[in-house]
Amino acid sequence: MIRIERSVSLFAALAAMAVVAAACGSTSGGGTTSKGSVTIAGFDFAESSILAELYGQELAHSGYTVNYKLRLGKREVVAPAIQAGQIDIYPGYAATDLEYYNKAAGEASGDVNATVQKLNGRLQPLGLEALTPSPAVDQNAFAVTKATQAKYNLTKLSDLAPIGDQLVLGGPPECPARPFCQVGLEKTYGIHFKAFKALDVDGSLTRAAFANGSIQVGLVFSSDSDLNKLGLVVLQDDKHLENADNVVPIIRTKVATDDVKAILNKVSAAVTTAQLITLNGQVELNHQDADAVAKAFLQQHNYFS
Amino acid sequence: MPSRLFLDAEDPWVNWDWLLNHVPYVLDALEQHLVLTVIAVVGGLAISIPLGLLAHRAPLIRLVVIGGFGAFYTIPSLAVFALLVPFTGIATTTTAEIPLIGYNVFILLRNVVVGLDAVPREVLDAADGMGYRPRARMLRVELPLALPAIFAGLRVATVSTIGLITITAVIGLGGLGQLINQGLQENFRTPLVVATLGSIALALVADLALSAGQRFALPWSRQA
Amino acid sequence: MTILGSVWQWFTNPANWQGSNGIPTRLLEHVQLSAESVLIGALIALPVGIVLGHYGRFGNLAINISNAGRAVPSFGILVIAFLVFGLGDLPVIVALTALAIPPMITNSYVALREVDPDVKEAARGMGYRELAQLLRVELPLAVPLIMAGIRSSAVQVVATATLAALIAGGGFGRYIIDGFAQLNDAMTIAGAILVALLAFATEVGLSGLERLLVPHGIRLLMAPAVRRAATFKVA
Repeated sequence: MIRIERSVSLFAALAAMAVVAAACGSTSGGGTTSKGSVTIAGFDFAESSILAELYGQELAHSGYTVNYKLRLGKREVVAPAIQAGQIDIYPGYAATDLEYYNKAAGEASGDVNATVQKLNGRLQPLGLEALTPSPAVDQNAFAVTKATQAKYNLTKLSDLAPIGDQLVLGGPPECPARPFCQVGLEKTYGIHFKAFKALDVDGSLTRAAFANGSIQVGLVFSSDSDLNKLGLVVLQDDKHLENADNVVPIIRTKVATDDVKAILNKVSAAVTTAQLITLNGQVELNHQDADAVAKAFLQQHNYFS
Repeated sequence: MPSRLFLDAEDPWVNWDWLLNHVPYVLDALEQHLVLTVIAVVGGLAISIPLGLLAHRAPLIRLVVIGGFGAFYTIPSLAVFALLVPFTGIATTTTAEIPLIGYNVFILLRNVVVGLDAVPREVLDAADGMGYRPRARMLRVELPLALPAIFAGLRVATVSTIGLITITAVIGLGGLGQLINQGLQENFRTPLVVATLGSIALALVADLALSAGQRFALPWSRQA
Repeated sequence: MTILGSVWQWFTNPANWQGSNGIPTRLLEHVQLSAESVLIGALIALPVGIVLGHYGRFGNLAINISNAGRAVPSFGILVIAFLVFGLGDLPVIVALTALAIPPMITNSYVALREVDPDVKEAARGMGYRELAQLLRVELPLAVPLIMAGIRSSAVQVVATATLAALIAGGGFGRYIIDGFAQLNDAMTIAGAILVALLAFATEVGLSGLERLLVPHGIRLLMAPAVRRAATFKVA
């Protein structure tokens, strides 16, 4: 009967679309003479996308097929992913990664080499390794508005201890559980905040919360490009809660050939904190793309060849 | 009123420069969105039609299955995505599709069953009288007559799925939802507006296409 | 400890029942956001749908608004509302109200259209004038379908309110997002259970309200039409 054939053909078309769609979704790189394929992930903030693109594009330039999984999420999501082999590389931060993999044992210090060494000790049994750290540093910082600073006469984090119960802390939802975040502020500085407001990782929610006064103290990144413009002042970390959070690529040992390691270390060595701030500014303020900004940087350095 | 435009007072709702330079980026997100939608809808159909046929025959199965999927339907999608991540991975199609297909099964199942229920008794008797055996009667008489109801469910399921997919941005996918996420994180309006309007347009186009498809496949069932 | 065990522990932990992140506080936030949105939405949508349905005008528009409304991605609307209105309850309520309106317009329009023309003619014949006819004859007959629209809208708003947590809002969505961020599965599951329960309670509660409002005879009469009102998932 005609009507059945018509509907059958319609459903068959839909089913065919589904098969094609599923196949389409997994387009492979299909290199001509590719040295191999790597998957690079980034955390869900702009700086991580920039770093991932820097490492990735340098690898691609050297002949590797690179897949990107940017804005993948927090470390609580990215770390299991790399351990499960879903991704091969992510740009980590030495001290924070160490305290993540050692379950907040408190081993990180201001000495980046010692920190990375301990980090490698923790990573080896997991089939991972940390490469040479970059001079570029981005650590957690806590900022207040200029108005709050003036009101309580604040210069350093210790100044917050006596007035903590009048202030609201803002940060990403995982902050109450993180050793370099609220937990550390309580243990190291003895600051007990009136409340915590879950926002984002130094993004538009945090800025909005500062602007409308729903938080007085907020987590920001030390490599942020626009703190001054926003009227935010970073309080000094006088008790050294935050440690050597140098950028360091975390890589699966299986993918860590000498060639790959050399390439990644070249990039790491070339990025300084000041340059990171500049790159961040291009993305955060000028709304340029992370990949375009990374490409420009690499071209400037002639891809280190 | 507190300053709302706290960062980029000059950020227009649509920055045409950015848009024209990012067409491939937007199209990529659109493609991911489409792929996820098609898999969810076809998956939902593939499960709900046989299940609906079973449920139509056996009241106990109907109760259990519709009740079960109905209970699943009330769980907010955000929660299901978040809970599946440790098991099926982050940013994987599986994590996104399990809830999406599950919700579609509920929508379509009810329509399949209602459609089958609505087949008039006289038609079934006539078919029996003409010599149709049970399976043939099911496939060649009942199911086709239930198609209008199934198509109605298909349209609801498709539009619903397209909207839900934007939420998968929280688990690393998102299709057009990625641009919404970018707008939120970077306080950047253009990708946000483009993605929202794009998602609405996609849903309306899909609805129209299915409506046209229904008229093609079932010319005898014109509905308002 | 099994997952169910840890969820049970979460629910029986007294700390989770007090303070600004406790269940009562979050419940109140969630209910407040949802109720305000549905109320404001109803105040806007019902008069529009009822009047259009009574006069039979712009029928296609009323139905198409609903289709277009269903096509709006809730996540997108929320973020746009945030960028316009900043933090707090206002953006959430604006977004949820926008999502609540379309189904209520369509259902109230269809509800008025479904009133048997013979009944309307009889009312005319008995001497009812326009407004009285609308209020005393048509509306009571239309209540079941209108209530079905409000109910379906309310259930969807309760589910979508979980997304408020993505723009730093409160409510049960907070447990889902925070649980996900802190890898605390018990909290995420608890949040999901709480929202599902609230959605179920909303459905049951509004059904009960409908029972009170609709005369028994009309309820029997309108039963098939009510079943047509389909719930629609936007979150």
